[in-house]
Amino acid sequence: MVNITINGKLVQAYEDEMLLTAIRRENIDIPALCHHEAVEPYGACRLCMVEITKDEWDGWKNHVTSCLYPVEEGLIVNTHTPTVIELRKTILDLFLAGSPRSTVIRKLAAEYGVTKTSYEEVPDGTDCILCGLCTRVCDKMGFSAISAVNRGHGKEIAPPLNEPPPDCVGCLSCAYICPTRYIKFTDDGKTRKIWGRKFKLLHCEKTGQPTITEEFARYLVKNRQIPEDYFKINDLSHRKELALKMGEITQWGREE
Amino acid sequence: MKLDITKVPAIIDRHPRKASSLIMILQDIQKEYNYLPSEALHKTAEALDVPMSKVYSVATFYNAFSLKPRGEKVIRVCVGTACHIRGSRQIQEQFEHHLKIKPGETTPDMKYSLEVVGCVGACAMAPVVMINDKYYGTVKANRIKQLVGKG
Repeated sequence: MVNITINGKLVQAYEDEMLLTAIRRENIDIPALCHHEAVEPYGACRLCMVEITKDEWDGWKNHVTSCLYPVEEGLIVNTHTPTVIELRKTILDLFLAGSPRSTVIRKLAAEYGVTKTSYEEVPDGTDCILCGLCTRVCDKMGFSAISAVNRGHGKEIAPPLNEPPPDCVGCLSCAYICPTRYIKFTDDGKTRKIWGRKFKLLHCEKTGQPTITEEFARYLVKNRQIPEDYFKINDLSHRKELALKMGEITQWGREE
Repeated sequence: MKLDITKVPAIIDRHPRKASSLIMILQDIQKEYNYLPSEALHKTAEALDVPMSKVYSVATFYNAFSLKPRGEKVIRVCVGTACHIRGSRQIQEQFEHHLKIKPGETTPDMKYSLEVVGCVGACAMAPVVMINDKYYGTVKANRIKQLVGKG
């Protein structure tokens, strides 16, 4: 354990964890759009910026993305100084210029008092903020069906060759993790459509409820040693077991 | 024209079969075909056991790679700061006029491709035009026609 000070309060943090985790454990609200516990920290959105210093730094201060900064003995963290607020405002101002129609961005910006961007709006700005959560979770799931393509202004998230991605199984992880809900899909209980691909859904033999896509089931059977009859029924006990198994596969479970 | 993709396995075999060979292989394929055919990308992904999405990501990131067939002669007009000041706009317009294509396009006879580039690191001889690997400095707009013939 290491001792750090967050907003004047002495707290203990686990070694090797990032500042953001320790800050959020103290129920301090820090915005972050590109952060998710399921994937490695990335530092793309810059919103979790905080001020850090140490007693021995002689008043020297630094501003860092807390999601990427490991905790350190004696660190003094301030999460809402005027400079930090100003930094976050600028970042939100820029996000607002890039994604003027995003309700998520607009709401978050409004919380910081930014209701209109002071920059020129990107004419064809989408709700995608290139946070990389979708590609990271897709990699983590083991599919790597989508990725960032092109560079600079033309950068976007897309499947290879802009064709329906052959490696996608329709698990919807990318759509659910997307902080601005930019990734769209449809699901009518029989068919699921995402990234220009169509997937047929399996149904629980007991309840008739839709479960997962045929492709996803086939993938889990083939690559993750899950028995084939596993997806026939979908009652609660079953789901817990599958969740644990998935946790094992993707190493989400925290080692105690 | 049917594309002869049979050279790709040999190109891949020249490199160690690991993910870090990706850019080298793509460079060699680009050199051979003057662009990256999608079949070649698929073959590379398969051989290196790298997801196709990652191969595509790398192939679209670097300007040195092209996913569309390029002409025999790739004309790069530098529009970096120094060249811009010394009239690269006119140079670019002259090329567009003579070749009847816009930057990023290729003439229908597959002879010429036109591109604009940021800076080629030869600002002292601005405005600069590159035709394939050759540099042409202090280019004048009235000599573009002559330049197109050369290179």
